[in-house]
Amino acid sequence: MNLPINTSEAELIIPELIMLFGLIAIILIPNLGKASFRIPLTRIRVPVLIGGSRFKSTNNPKLPNQISLITFTSALFFGLMQNSYDTIGETLEVTEFSRLFSLIFIAALLLATIATTHRLPARVNIKPPNESDSENISTKKIDALIDNRRQVDFHIILIMVGLGMSLMSMATHLFMLFVCIELASLSSYILVAFHKESKIGGEAGMKYFIVGSVASAVGIYGMSLLYLWSGDLSLDALAIKWSESESVDPLAGIAVGLMLVAFGFKVGAAPFHLAAPDAYSGASSPVAGLLATASKAMGFVALMRILVSVTMPVEGEAFWYTAIAVIAVVTMTWGNLAALTSSNPKRMLAYSSVSHAGYMLAGLAAIGSGLGSEEAIELVLTAIVFHLAVLVIFKFGAFLVLSLLETEGRSHRLEDLHGLARREPLVAGSMFLFMLSLAGVPPLSGFLSKFLMINGIVNISAGTGASDATSVIDWLTSVEPVFWLAFAIVINSALSMFYYLRIGLVMFFEEPEDSRTLKDALSLKLAIVACAILTLLVGIGPLSDSLLEMVAEAINSFVSN
Amino acid sequence: MTILTLTPIGVGLLLLILPQILPGNLASSIRKFSRNVSFGVSMALFAFATYLSFTTFGGIDWIGINMGEYELMNNEPVTLISSIGVSWIVGVDALSLPMVWLTALLIPLSMLVEWDAKEGHIFHPLILVMEGALLGVFVVLDLFVFYIFWEMTLIPMFFLILVWGGDDRKYASMKFFIYTFTASVIMLVGILIMYFHTGDISGVSGTLTGHHFSLVEMNTEMIQSEGLRHLVWILLLIGFATKMPSVPVHTWLPDAHVQAPTAGSMLLAGVMLKMGAYGFLRVAVSLFPESTVVFTPILIFLGMASLVYGAWVCMGQTNLKRMVAYSSVSHMGLIFLGIATMQPLGIAGALFMMFAHGIISPLLFAVAGAFKHHYHTLEIGSMRGIAHHSPYLAAHMMLGWMASLGLPLLAGFVAEVAILIAFWMSFGWLVLLPALTLIITAVYYLTSMQKTIFESNDRHHGILPESLHGEEPRDITWNENTSMFVLGILTVVFGIFPFIFFDMMSDWSTEFIREVLLNHLIDQGVKP
Repeated sequence: MNLPINTSEAELIIPELIMLFGLIAIILIPNLGKASFRIPLTRIRVPVLIGGSRFKSTNNPKLPNQISLITFTSALFFGLMQNSYDTIGETLEVTEFSRLFSLIFIAALLLATIATTHRLPARVNIKPPNESDSENISTKKIDALIDNRRQVDFHIILIMVGLGMSLMSMATHLFMLFVCIELASLSSYILVAFHKESKIGGEAGMKYFIVGSVASAVGIYGMSLLYLWSGDLSLDALAIKWSESESVDPLAGIAVGLMLVAFGFKVGAAPFHLAAPDAYSGASSPVAGLLATASKAMGFVALMRILVSVTMPVEGEAFWYTAIAVIAVVTMTWGNLAALTSSNPKRMLAYSSVSHAGYMLAGLAAIGSGLGSEEAIELVLTAIVFHLAVLVIFKFGAFLVLSLLETEGRSHRLEDLHGLARREPLVAGSMFLFMLSLAGVPPLSGFLSKFLMINGIVNISAGTGASDATSVIDWLTSVEPVFWLAFAIVINSALSMFYYLRIGLVMFFEEPEDSRTLKDALSLKLAIVACAILTLLVGIGPLSDSLLEMVAEAINSFVSN
Repeated sequence: MTILTLTPIGVGLLLLILPQILPGNLASSIRKFSRNVSFGVSMALFAFATYLSFTTFGGIDWIGINMGEYELMNNEPVTLISSIGVSWIVGVDALSLPMVWLTALLIPLSMLVEWDAKEGHIFHPLILVMEGALLGVFVVLDLFVFYIFWEMTLIPMFFLILVWGGDDRKYASMKFFIYTFTASVIMLVGILIMYFHTGDISGVSGTLTGHHFSLVEMNTEMIQSEGLRHLVWILLLIGFATKMPSVPVHTWLPDAHVQAPTAGSMLLAGVMLKMGAYGFLRVAVSLFPESTVVFTPILIFLGMASLVYGAWVCMGQTNLKRMVAYSSVSHMGLIFLGIATMQPLGIAGALFMMFAHGIISPLLFAVAGAFKHHYHTLEIGSMRGIAHHSPYLAAHMMLGWMASLGLPLLAGFVAEVAILIAFWMSFGWLVLLPALTLIITAVYYLTSMQKTIFESNDRHHGILPESLHGEEPRDITWNENTSMFVLGILTVVFGIFPFIFFDMMSDWSTEFIREVLLNHLIDQGVKP
């Protein structure tokens, strides 16, 4: 039999195949029914299963959620088990790097699925409203029915996002990379706009879609220019061509610049971040969490592929160094300043994620300075990837808390968080941990990642100061400007402390508007507490060590390519 | 030492979390006991620390420890994060031992002062967590872990101020957190630069970065550029000086103190400020002695400014706690002056100042807290003649005030004299400024004392503040009394027998200075 891929290749992409089968299952299973086909002229009915009135088990509105939970859990499990790496065809390559990112994406999606169980609840026995119902009850019933109806849609799209992202991390061909990004992006636009009956949801999705597609268009334009220049879009060929050319060809330079726009939008770098806060606050919290973690990680994979493996010269500074450095500083400062003034927790988290993108871009800029040794570059890359990995834990954790609040009200005002400690002490404690971790307080994982970042930048730059400088001023004037990036991160961390602490403050010290305990969303609460514990464990101790090792291996495989 | 650090954190966290996850019955019984358990644990730790401190019992010759060597050190560092070379190394020497003992002493005392704090089942475990973090700062010899503990002290204190603080507590706690956090992140950059100039050592090789954080093996000679060494020193100074705090970064302190609950103030003044001085000596001064010498003018300036400005501001204060807070700033200035001398006596004096101030200022804050508690006001002059109403409180206040202004035979005097003598030896007539400032100190202490303890129109009745609404105040409670009594006794004991700790301090500083001079001579080409 001539399968499109052989078994040894299939083994490499088990998590992706699982997601594919999950996708098919989630489309097919809820449609299974009693439909049958009568063979003409006979009385024999052959069941065809698709269509007709559905079986009781397939009619269960909770089914899609369960399928997608199973899909992501098993994908995560098999992804962790996997240890063979090879290329697949011309355009995909499974490496430690891609595997790690697949895991990051799948973990984020799994959390999103858990949160959706309660955020977009399916209720089994909902009757349509009848005339005796009051208006209030009938709207509630209709809402519940709509929620039931669109369970499938949500989870199909969620799995599509996973497929797109996961394949994207394996792509070694620019075209493949772009297609996968678009698959994930388009799906995420729909997710953002999923609550289209509410004004804000539709607006957010529309805005995000328009800005995102403009960015993509610009990126594709850049890509086509790049194709014009090299005639081949595989990353290896591009890298070879790039290293052969003596100086940067203007055509190629413009092309890469245009592509930066597209990827800059994905990571939320200033000034392309403007749609992000609207999108986050309009989307439901699990989706917003997805955008802040997985989508950002996806953007960074693309950036790292383009900037580090293709256009990084063997020695000397990369042509994009200044641009990225400026963008990094602007992004982190802008994000923090905007977050300071925002009173909507979701917008605040959105801006905080913008500023986190700034920190990571600063790392990229430090690489671009071309001052670092190979080890130093690897260290910075490790810091970036480690940060992306732990973001899933504590940033998504914060969004999980918000979605817990959303299960019964809204979470777009700071007041909604008031007095959470009195209603749900464990959840509030976890949220406080997430905030501290975001701010970078030791010994939490957010500190370790920020630490590694500053570490890497200082490592690259501190050696550049004149060694015979005898006074501080002499040394500071002789050191490369990269050193100041570390300072920018430090100052910004201090700045960000204000708004992270404010959340902690209102949770513990304001009177709650509503003193009831929150709805019994057990799995969501468990996920929140698990995230909080992981935030601590990955910050210090053996677990952080093994994660760091994993990241270091991934970076090894990335650099050696 | 590992036990000393991790027990309180573990027990404290357990007491905080268990009631949240256990079912109602069990939870409420744990709540009932958590106060007693916390106190018991802290007392046990105090006994342990005392046992270790005294040569005769502990069997450790504290005076004989050489520079760069530590007692009770775990010789097999436990690796925490191998990829970046973080490991768990703890140890104590003459620099940290008094601080460890002081912390272990103050924790049970401050618990005692606020024995009846509301929501005690959270309050006391929080203080216990605080103890672990503080002890961690003093015993850990790995800069990464040091930094972790350094920051970890912020969180319990943040909550202490925020939950049990005064009216303006939100502002104060935010200011406190952000100020110190910012400073310590700046310090972190300094630590990182140091980190990058450490080489591989056996035991932690195979790290991702090829560097390690161990303070024991750190060698600043690896930083070639003198300018960079100076820069690191300044970055460290910013971090530590903010914690101390020194003018001009002291402004968080009065706010935090005024708003903090009594126990919080006691720990803040008694131990947390010392963290700054300790870290400065342990990291900045002992690793970069040359930079310290180069920047002596800065140290003198900062010290003088804190000393004079702090004292001057004290005179204008009408709030008792704020006054005591500024007097802390002023005394911390003396520590800088002591270090600036770079003489054995001066550094020993600074060390003893840390210790003495660590006993005296908690007493002052306990007194101020008792005022707040029983008279519901802190305005100096609104209550007069308290000797009539609360003779014990008046006595404690008198002792504390006298000790703080440097009366001979009390602990503060020894430190001040040592520092001033060393200062005279190094800088001659400059000593007049700090010496004269001590007069200002006497002025504000004496006036405030006179206005509160004595000076009433009636021979048998004092003037009561309006905040009491005509009720008679009660005398201080037994727990406040006990804890102030212990502090008072210790003030006298260490005033008369300073050598209990002073010997090991002066030994440490002598050896330190000898080392510095030796290195200097070697640099000059003299063979040892």
